[in-house]
Amino acid sequence: MKIKVCGLKYADNIEAVSALGPDYMGFVCYGPSPRYAGELDAGTMNHVPRSIIKTAVFVNEDKETISALIEKYGFDAIQLHGNEDAEFCAYFKGQVKVIKAFGINEAFDFKVLDDFSDAVDLFLFDTKTNIHGGSGNSFDWNLLDKYQLDIPFFLSGGLSLENLEEVKKISHPQFYGVDLNSKFETAPGMKDIGKLGKAFEIIKQEPMNYGVNEQGYYGDFGGAYIPEMLYPNVEELRREYLSILDDEGFKTEFNELLKDYVGRPSPLYHAKRYSERYGANIFFKREDLNHTGSHKINNAIGQILLAKRLGKKRIIAETGAGQHGVATATVCALMGIECVVYMGEIDMARQAPNVSRMKMLGAKVMPAKSGSKTLKDATNEALRDWIANPVDTHYIIGSVVGPYPYPDMVARFQSIISLETKKQLKEHTGSELPDYVMACVGGGSNAMGMFYHFLDDENVKLVAVEAAGKGVDSGHSAATTFLGREGVLHGSRTILMQTDDGQVVEPYSISAGLDYPGIGPQHAYLYKIHRAEYASATDDEALQAGLLCCQLEGIIPAIETAHALAHLEKMKFKPTDNVVICISGRGDKDLDTYIKYFGF
Amino acid sequence: MNRLNELFAAKKDNLLSIYFTAGYPELGTTLDIAEALEKAGVDFLEIGFPYSDPVADGPVIQHSSEVALQNGMTLNLLFEQLADLRKRVSIPIMLMGYFNPVVQYGVERFCKKAAEVGVDGIIVPDLPIYEYETLYAGIFKNYNLSNIFMVTPQTSEERIRKIDALSNSFIYLLSSSSITGTALQLSVNIEDYYKRIKAMNLVNPAIIGFGITDQKSFNKACEYASGAIVGTKFVKLLAERDYLEKIPGFIKNIRA
Repeated sequence: MKIKVCGLKYADNIEAVSALGPDYMGFVCYGPSPRYAGELDAGTMNHVPRSIIKTAVFVNEDKETISALIEKYGFDAIQLHGNEDAEFCAYFKGQVKVIKAFGINEAFDFKVLDDFSDAVDLFLFDTKTNIHGGSGNSFDWNLLDKYQLDIPFFLSGGLSLENLEEVKKISHPQFYGVDLNSKFETAPGMKDIGKLGKAFEIIKQEPMNYGVNEQGYYGDFGGAYIPEMLYPNVEELRREYLSILDDEGFKTEFNELLKDYVGRPSPLYHAKRYSERYGANIFFKREDLNHTGSHKINNAIGQILLAKRLGKKRIIAETGAGQHGVATATVCALMGIECVVYMGEIDMARQAPNVSRMKMLGAKVMPAKSGSKTLKDATNEALRDWIANPVDTHYIIGSVVGPYPYPDMVARFQSIISLETKKQLKEHTGSELPDYVMACVGGGSNAMGMFYHFLDDENVKLVAVEAAGKGVDSGHSAATTFLGREGVLHGSRTILMQTDDGQVVEPYSISAGLDYPGIGPQHAYLYKIHRAEYASATDDEALQAGLLCCQLEGIIPAIETAHALAHLEKMKFKPTDNVVICISGRGDKDLDTYIKYFGF
Repeated sequence: MNRLNELFAAKKDNLLSIYFTAGYPELGTTLDIAEALEKAGVDFLEIGFPYSDPVADGPVIQHSSEVALQNGMTLNLLFEQLADLRKRVSIPIMLMGYFNPVVQYGVERFCKKAAEVGVDGIIVPDLPIYEYETLYAGIFKNYNLSNIFMVTPQTSEERIRKIDALSNSFIYLLSSSSITGTALQLSVNIEDYYKRIKAMNLVNPAIIGFGITDQKSFNKACEYASGAIVGTKFVKLLAERDYLEKIPGFIKNIRA
């Protein structure tokens, strides 16, 4: 964001402001203004560093005077605040930068700007007043949405230390910079260097970066802690994934399949009875309505298209609840590619219908018999398979776990969830930003997809709900952030449940999809820096919440999802709060568990 | 100079190393096994510290790790057992295991303790080059420990050169891209791979591991490298009754 400090007139003050290093400095060349700088010595201007664009501000001045002043002071830009027309502006364009100022209010017709599109370099949008120049008040910045031209603009009018954080959130693609003036003065034309210094600090402060860096890290978490035998496979992915994901052909194929095969966009449903019960506007993001019954298909489609482009002939996957296994088997059937799914022996028993579904879809289901015989062991077996088959096989990891680039790649494929949510929420509420976004977390792929496009919107509170099993302190739990410590699991540095000796602890949850001893590295990072809140729900709380959802909304949620719903009981909302919960999957696969628990 | 460097300076070929998992089949026989192996003529040893999720290992070594953990083996206990290492064993010793237990123990503390008891090298298959180089190389160097890297048939020449530059004892040449315990299939491709490595004239000697089970595969490995490592086959022997007494015969069968 560029910074322009405007309304300078005193030599010493000019020097002090120069030292702060603004991008533009503005000098008012309009007699009636209290900040009139016409008496300035040309020498003073010569001391302004050349890196700063010296801008002369005029109101309905004639061309000759403007040209003479440009000559005298060596101005690099002119800013026109009167009724100058496009032709007038064009006269100076090319000679100096031309900034045309407009006062904005509800009634402003942005179409008048069309004429200026070839005549100016920048616009400056100020608050509409009856006098020429600043009022010290800001205008409704939502009006900027109406501005559609591709000429960048400065924002002006009432900018102060109090509203700069808000200004930083303006996401208009042509938003070029801020114009600081009257709120940073001790007297007209005398800038308050202390206040300006603070403003520069606020503006130049980089927004927190929640994404992955080039080495595959989120803060201290992530990386690719893999044996050399896996290096070529992972390195090939790392090298290729971004360019493949960026490829137009890939995007088209991915989006078409999401639309026509998966049934996206998934609805954002305003759950009225839930809203009543919890005293807020509660929305369900209906990933349960996707083909195959959960969000897992988004990633599976993305990765199968990627595998095809990498020339792979065989797919392997791990699965916990069977949702990712079914999704993978489905896309393999769709593409006619061989599919092997590893699944813990215990999970195969408790998710038997999904095992049958995978087999019907033509996949081979291999039981993982080592360790706890659940998701982590299925992941180990899949990794071993990949080591033995490095050339022709692609491993479709189902969550935001594993060595880099998997956590980032899977998050990108799942980010469609929050991308759609923003748009849909705007239709429902007028704003694309909710107050809360909630999701359950095992490895964390539906949560990451649900959080993804809200990460930089710091006002959106992110809530992730882990599986507490029989209670966080019961010894039968999968609440990783409560029970885990930093370490290395399945190729990434993250938070995992482990003994003092660094042995991975066997987790427990009634929900196979959350029964995992770690969380994705990006979640570990969001947890550590407190960008997201991590809560937990027990088996009992989840099952009760699942039943409540059936009875209040007529939706049978997956037990995984029910953990997120259960946490609503512990939340305190304001009546105006907008809350989005990711309904990550449907509960058909869990009917046995529900039926046994409730004795239907 | 540590014992590994001395060994490789003195002896250039037919080197034999044996891997076994500490705490398997019994908790207290770590040094007994090491001593018996030295007496049987083995040149250097890899003592494995067990991990719950050994992704690079096949069923035999996985099982040995599981049993060792059930027996109560931990890094703390292993270092206690190794306190007498240098009273009983003089050949070079490496510790081999996965990274997470080392992270929990503390990388610096682990290296310090290893150096104290007389360990010469460390093999951590899931500690990548980038992290080793940027975070840990200095610590390993301070304690005069060699870090050993692996190379597979898929490893690029550029990466092998980098590994060679980062190594100061030997390079662990995997005979195929597979988990431990997979039979060595000496296809034309593998021979080409060995020849390719040999032709690179690396600074560090290469030792071939994974898939060495008998005299024939050992001799074949020694044609292309300075020696070989036997793991799975030896761990299988440990499952037998009176395993300590069978060690001399086992070694004789590999290196007559």
